[in-house]
Amino acid sequence: MEQNKKVFGIAALYDSPNAIIKAAKTVTDKGYKNFDVHSPYPVHGMDKAMKLPPSKLGFVTLAFGLSGAAIALLFMYWTMTIDYPMIIGGKPFFSLPAFIPVTFELTVLLATLSTVIGMVTFFFYFPNNSHPIHDTNYMKSVSIDKFGLCIEADDEKFNEEEINKLFTDLGAIKIEKIFFPDKLNVKILEPKFIGLLLIVAAFVSVSTYLHLNKVLYLVPFNWMMDQGRLDVQSSSELFGDKFGMRNPVKGTVARGFMPYEYQGVNEPTSPLSNPYLPTKENLSLGEKKYNSFCSPCHGNLGDGDSRLRGQFPLPPSLHSSKSRDWLDGNLYHVIVNGQNVMPSYSSQLSREERWAIVNYIRVLQRAKNASEADIQEIKKEPVTNVSE
Amino acid sequence: MSQSNLNYIKKDLPTSLQKIGFLLIGIGVIGGAGAFLLNAEQAAFNYLLGFMFLMSIGVGALFLISLEYVAGADWSTPLRRVIEFTASITPFLIILAIPILLNMHTLFHWSHTEVVESDKILKEKAPYLNQTFFFIRVAIVFALWTLFYFLLTRNSRKQDISKDQNLTRVNIRLSAVFIPLFAITASIASIDWMMSLEPHWFSTIFGVYFFSGSVLSALAVITYATVKLREGGYLHPRMVKDHYYSLGSLLFVFVNFWGYIAFSQYMLIWYANLPEETFWFLARWQGSWIYISLALIFVHFIVPYSILLSQPAKMDAKKLKFASLWILFAHLLDLYWLILPTFKGESTLLNFVLGLSFPVAAVGGIILLFYFNSKKTNMVPVGDPKLERGLNFRL
Amino acid sequence: MNIDYSQELPVVEGRLTLREINDLIARPMDERPNKKYFIALSFTLSLLFIGAISVALTLYYGIGMWGNNQPVGWAFDIVNFVFWVGIGHAGTLISAILFLLRQKWRTGIARFAEAMTIFAVMCAAIFPILHTGRMWVAVVYLLPYPNQHSLWVNFSSPLIWDVFAVSTYFAVSLVFWYVGLIPDFATLRDTTASKIKKVIYSIFSLGWRHSHRNWQHYEKSYMLLAGFATPLVLSVHTIVSFDFAVSILPGWHTTIFPPYFVAGAIFSGFAMVVTVLIFVRKIFDLENIITINHLEKMNKVILATGMMVGYAYAMEFFIAWYSGNPIEQFVFINRAFGPYAWAYWIMVSCNVIFPQFFWIKKIRRSIPIMLMIVIFVNIGMWFERFVITVTSLHRDFLPSSWGYYTPTLVDFGVLIGSFGLFFTLVLLFTKTLPVVSISEVKAVAEGAQPSHNGGDH
Repeated sequence: MEQNKKVFGIAALYDSPNAIIKAAKTVTDKGYKNFDVHSPYPVHGMDKAMKLPPSKLGFVTLAFGLSGAAIALLFMYWTMTIDYPMIIGGKPFFSLPAFIPVTFELTVLLATLSTVIGMVTFFFYFPNNSHPIHDTNYMKSVSIDKFGLCIEADDEKFNEEEINKLFTDLGAIKIEKIFFPDKLNVKILEPKFIGLLLIVAAFVSVSTYLHLNKVLYLVPFNWMMDQGRLDVQSSSELFGDKFGMRNPVKGTVARGFMPYEYQGVNEPTSPLSNPYLPTKENLSLGEKKYNSFCSPCHGNLGDGDSRLRGQFPLPPSLHSSKSRDWLDGNLYHVIVNGQNVMPSYSSQLSREERWAIVNYIRVLQRAKNASEADIQEIKKEPVTNVSE
Repeated sequence: MSQSNLNYIKKDLPTSLQKIGFLLIGIGVIGGAGAFLLNAEQAAFNYLLGFMFLMSIGVGALFLISLEYVAGADWSTPLRRVIEFTASITPFLIILAIPILLNMHTLFHWSHTEVVESDKILKEKAPYLNQTFFFIRVAIVFALWTLFYFLLTRNSRKQDISKDQNLTRVNIRLSAVFIPLFAITASIASIDWMMSLEPHWFSTIFGVYFFSGSVLSALAVITYATVKLREGGYLHPRMVKDHYYSLGSLLFVFVNFWGYIAFSQYMLIWYANLPEETFWFLARWQGSWIYISLALIFVHFIVPYSILLSQPAKMDAKKLKFASLWILFAHLLDLYWLILPTFKGESTLLNFVLGLSFPVAAVGGIILLFYFNSKKTNMVPVGDPKLERGLNFRL
Repeated sequence: MNIDYSQELPVVEGRLTLREINDLIARPMDERPNKKYFIALSFTLSLLFIGAISVALTLYYGIGMWGNNQPVGWAFDIVNFVFWVGIGHAGTLISAILFLLRQKWRTGIARFAEAMTIFAVMCAAIFPILHTGRMWVAVVYLLPYPNQHSLWVNFSSPLIWDVFAVSTYFAVSLVFWYVGLIPDFATLRDTTASKIKKVIYSIFSLGWRHSHRNWQHYEKSYMLLAGFATPLVLSVHTIVSFDFAVSILPGWHTTIFPPYFVAGAIFSGFAMVVTVLIFVRKIFDLENIITINHLEKMNKVILATGMMVGYAYAMEFFIAWYSGNPIEQFVFINRAFGPYAWAYWIMVSCNVIFPQFFWIKKIRRSIPIMLMIVIFVNIGMWFERFVITVTSLHRDFLPSSWGYYTPTLVDFGVLIGSFGLFFTLVLLFTKTLPVVSISEVKAVAEGAQPSHNGGDH
């Protein structure tokens, strides 16, 4: 019955690595092309004996490695600087050092996976479990401890007798003829197989549905919120009044807050003294704040000429002798406390800003009521305006 | 069976090498003297550069010798004499250090007691950074290196005649002791000679950084010398491409290692952005230093990486020679980048050119060391029991 | 004992023939597991069960079941993660770096070490994924996926680097391992008597034919994979160290962290491999393939890396003082003499002091003492991560928020469970796959390579 089968090739087994190297060399030198050596492990020097060109696998690795790097960098560039730029840690949008780790990992991932997949599919044409050489005694020997050489029937110089002789001369311990296997009759439309496919499909669909529609929207467990500490406005057994929230100790001063002792007093007799010198910075701050908060009613120069066209009662002039003779502290008091219809500005202006306004008002008053000496002074040396 | 077919014939190096060596040293000494006369401060920094160049190569080679013994490597045995010749720099270091010690105050900011008095941080560091302790450390470190150099090479040379396997055993033990000592002393040396130039700056990885550059440059010298000597027929004829490949791979590995350490240091300081650390890098990012910093990435990492990447390149004599010279240049650039930014004075082109005379003298010195050592000893450790295995080494 | 340095030590002892090697390695897969195996398996499965309960508690009640809370926001989760990732480093190191260094002795242990890598990375992955809280949506914030909000992961975050590094590492290790297994599957396919096994082996062998035209590419690919796995293995623990070191927390932010973590990972990984191999070689009669010389060499690596770790401890301390930064100094003094001093000294003695015994050759070759030391190293390396994480956090910049971290039972349960998972997988592996690479060991056996390979080529 063997005669009916097509011959794949003739294979010989050898006992030692030296013998197989010699055999491979001879077969190559005789000009056979379609032959292969089979050994349980790679035998050193075989590449040279078989005159194999160096493997080109490295180029696959290089190409995919470089594209991995490029993909990673471009993708990070696009997401982090174009699609949704966000400042992270005060670094530039495209901060290369921070992108190097991911770039490196993607390079390695693509390079290695492509090497292996490329080797298995394009260099080996795997998976291939129906090769004629499988399940032969020859294969079983080379799998363990023998070294085999198989010349295939489609080689131009294929000639059974010649090859048999060649193998024997080279010291073969066994020669075997390998045939193509019978065609297997594989039915694709087998009910069992289709059933399996259906089960897999159903399982995948149901689990995908459940995951995307149910699991993703599970309400998170919130037991973590119950912690052994007092929440705001919860009661406490520790204190007599059962209040969890406590008042601060008497006399506590909040950070950045300076208590004002004349709050609500009308014209204090011994008000605060001005802690700020009318420096250039202080005056320019005062001018800015005066123009923002005071000038709408008091007028740009403090003449009491409101810009509000009677929508609010006109205030008195700041150049009256009363206000000119007032101490700085009195002016400050009015800003903090308010007076008549003027409300308190303590929430809008900081302590420094209030004193700066007081200083600026003094400048306005002196400018509007300049004495002879002042005019002489200005004429003597052309001093630039403080508010330049 | 092994020693009988050892067809190594000792061949002296040509005397022209001696001439070249002396010529380079002569140029270096004259140029160096000129540099000191013209601008003593800058010359001191440049001298330190040349000194560190020699030191890193010498001690790197010494480490490689002990690594061979400890790892039991055999492929490098046929070229171990080349490594030993390279390591013969170490005994001279203590003499070469004298000009630096004389110029301490120019180089090391912390050596001025009045500065330390007025600087709170330097005052805290004074127990370590003070002149007495510095001298003690220098003495101990160089003495240790010199001692181990003499012990290791003496045994190796004795073995040429006696072929005694016990000497290998002794050297393995010595090397095992030396390697931890090397880790400590090399870190101390790197902190003392380079990190303390900017006494406020600190980085825990600095010792490792120095180590990576040191071994890389030592390997570059060894690779260049091995390829050159093998081509001239001074080494054993059975040293083949497989040995080159190992050298090339080691170069490649250490290029990567240097890149890895340099990146780690930069990355962590850049990311955390703490002012007490970043100022060191900022100084190297200002003015024209930015070009040197950027060039360093290409010169020290990308270019040698690309040259040595492919498998055939690691066996190719021409490419190896080019790569090793390139790496030596890169190492010089690295040291320049580490040392010179501390020099804050004015510099002219003439100063710069004269500063180059120190590395030139260093190269001349290495050539002369090879010449004189090769006269004294065999270029192949003929008595080493691992030699035969090393010569048989194939991939 | 005097060694002859002119001869290379044989990698496989006892002058086994190729067929003997084959049978020796393939035997555990054909024999029915004995009673001891089931006792061991039931033990590891109970550990795994404890872990499963703890994980279930964590998922149901949330990670409030763990002990970490302000100021120690990172504790057992990251400690265990780093510990397991570290263990995972030895495998790739043995298979890749030693391959590139052409250390033939690696062949006996590479397969096992690689398998341990894969299992260890699986154990490591449990912890960060659990810590994300609702782990079933973790993929949404761990991987960049296209969405209509243009919302991407933060590529500047070391935690995202971790995701990429660990998953790449897992994928590459798995592929590397599988590539190594292909020829062995083919050999098993050709030797097995069972029909079902034959089908399974055929599928996994992909139709491998031991053809030299394939071996040529195969060897090239192995080399390329090793070339990539080497920097990869370094990068993974480097990135893990970045988790800590890119912050500005004293005790975490120090530049030596990347190489220090890598050395520590190799250290702990080798210790774990030695621990497991001591049992495996005994149980499966592999003393001729995994010889005492193998173990001695690994002990030398443990000694070397242990000293590297010691160097890093010393350097950190020295530079903390040298920096002149009082906060930095406080953290290190607090580490050594503060409330967690016990953990610190366990770490120092286990990692730096005990491995010093390996200077003595007798101890390097004595199985019981070796076993004791490597177990100490495993403990020490776990404590190293504990010390780094907890001592730096528990006393932060504000003394009013100082605290003391104590793990809960659930914390321990998950840790125990991870050990259970690891050893269960190891046990299953020993019975289902060849624990030693058949083809690689054959290739380094005596007389396996042609003798006229010398000379120039």
